[in-house]
Amino acid sequence: MNMTEEKLKIKIPREKEIKNVIVLESEENNQKRSVFGLDGIVFKICSLFSPLLILVLWELLSKLGILDIRLFSTPSLILKSMLPVVISGELFYNTFISIRRIVLGFLAGAIPGVIVGLSMGLFPLIRLVFQPIVSAVFPIPKLAIMPLILLVFGLGEVSKIFVIAMGVFFLVVINTMAGVLNIEQIYLDVAKNYGASRKDFYLTVALPGALPMIFAGFKVAMGTALLLIVAAELSAARAGIGYMIWRAYDMFDIERMFVALIMMSVLGYVFSFVIDWIERLAIPWKHN
Amino acid sequence: MFYKERTIIKLEGVTKVFNVKSQKVTAIEKLNLSIYDGEFLCIVGPSGCGKTTLLRILAGLEQQTSGRVIISPREPEKPLNSMVFQGDSLFPWMTVKQNVAYGLKMRGVAPKDYEKVVAHYINMMGLSKFENAYPHQLSGGMRQRVSVARAFANDPEILLLDEPFGALDEQNRILLQQELLKIWEGTFKTAVFITHSIDEALILGDRVLVMTAHPGRLKAEIKIDLPRPRDTLSMRANKRFVELYEQIWSYLKEEVIKAKSAV
Ligand SMILES: Nc1ncnc2c1ncn2[C@@H]1O[C@H](COP(=O)(O)OP(=O)(O)O)[C@@H](O)[C@H]1O
Ligand SMILES: [Mg+2]
Repeated sequence: MNMTEEKLKIKIPREKEIKNVIVLESEENNQKRSVFGLDGIVFKICSLFSPLLILVLWELLSKLGILDIRLFSTPSLILKSMLPVVISGELFYNTFISIRRIVLGFLAGAIPGVIVGLSMGLFPLIRLVFQPIVSAVFPIPKLAIMPLILLVFGLGEVSKIFVIAMGVFFLVVINTMAGVLNIEQIYLDVAKNYGASRKDFYLTVALPGALPMIFAGFKVAMGTALLLIVAAELSAARAGIGYMIWRAYDMFDIERMFVALIMMSVLGYVFSFVIDWIERLAIPWKHN
Repeated sequence: MFYKERTIIKLEGVTKVFNVKSQKVTAIEKLNLSIYDGEFLCIVGPSGCGKTTLLRILAGLEQQTSGRVIISPREPEKPLNSMVFQGDSLFPWMTVKQNVAYGLKMRGVAPKDYEKVVAHYINMMGLSKFENAYPHQLSGGMRQRVSVARAFANDPEILLLDEPFGALDEQNRILLQQELLKIWEGTFKTAVFITHSIDEALILGDRVLVMTAHPGRLKAEIKIDLPRPRDTLSMRANKRFVELYEQIWSYLKEEVIKAKSAV
């Protein structure tokens, strides 16, 4: 009895009296909030600002003597010493030499790597034969065989290209093989049911199915190639970005060293950009 | 002999045993079965009773442990069978057109000769606008339509369909059943269609086989004497439809309960 009386007491407000209205805005009306979205202008400024902030901090700390200027130099000094290296063409020449070694070494490792990896993934017999060899050689740091490579191939270009190729080859083999082995069974069944020949299967299922893993391998391999180029140019090189770094070390020319390091970073960025670009062309089904 | 009377596939005592970690799993046991040339055969049975295994044996993707499978095609120059697989089976790296053309291409048909056929089946499935799309850009219903188109475009003598619409929502299932009947009627192709839906078996089939729970054997055979061409919507209200439904359900019920209690 009491309950119903309570209920009856509740006054239903008229439309005009309702003050607390909740409106769910459409996308068009949320410009104000786009600050929180990743495309917000604030975020763009922040991402541009952070490297700048570091440069300013670096300059200040060096000028104030908190950072040892002999070891860390300053951004302005580096910029100043960059000019003559650029104008004389020295920087670009050395960059060109390194790029050539990296590209040739990468191709010399990646192309056979894909072929061997595909074969190992597809044919159990080949896998059985090569697996122990790959497992034994892969863990050896490629830097450790640099001296041996120098003895075999001499001091010329071949030894530098070869050491990069070695580093790239094994990473690509392992990724490609895993890519093939991880192709879902259903695709093999479809190929068989629809009468694919060995060669067709290779080209229409194994290769495209493994491509995402192959490119993952390429990306890791590119990182390794950049690492190896610096090491390879340490010993017995007369040009290259790595050579520039080691020369600068010998002459205690910190600014030059930083110029070369910046170039290294640009190279890394450009190479990964190029691989991403090729990947988008080769795997159109992954990106819209 | 007449159409739908000549035996095209005969199974004699077919048994399939899987070895899983030194344990033997009998998927199907001593299955005897005749499939007739040009008929639409539906197979229902509780899940795990060996329906997929049976179809994979017919497709040559799996070999029976014992027993014989005798296939006598009417047109030996055609591909023997094409399968519409359970679940997603389109190649993600091929467009709709490339997927549908796959069988023809593998058989060495030149593009100029298969383009028309491919376009025809894509069109029949209402996918013309999407012929250059990749599977990930399509809905589940559209992907199954492509799978069906791929099988038909290959022009096989026997179609093997493994719960092709099992994962679809009701609306899409009804539409696809209609579309399947539309492209099947008049092709004289033998179809072996696996489903867990009695409705679907009745709508599509000339004959329904009920399989026993694990291991799979033949439980019952029901002839579906409903006239063709079939109107998939109005036929549900048909008195005969309801009778047949109850008949199949009475067989199936026992097996489903058996399958449940075995777990
Ligand atoms: N490749 C396989 N290896 C081992 N066991 C399998 C394999 N395929 C199927 N089975 C077993 O065989 C039985 C029947 O499976 P399946 O034919 O897929 O049934 P359904 O399609 O009727 O659901 C199940 O018990 C399943 O676990
Ligand atoms: Mg199944």
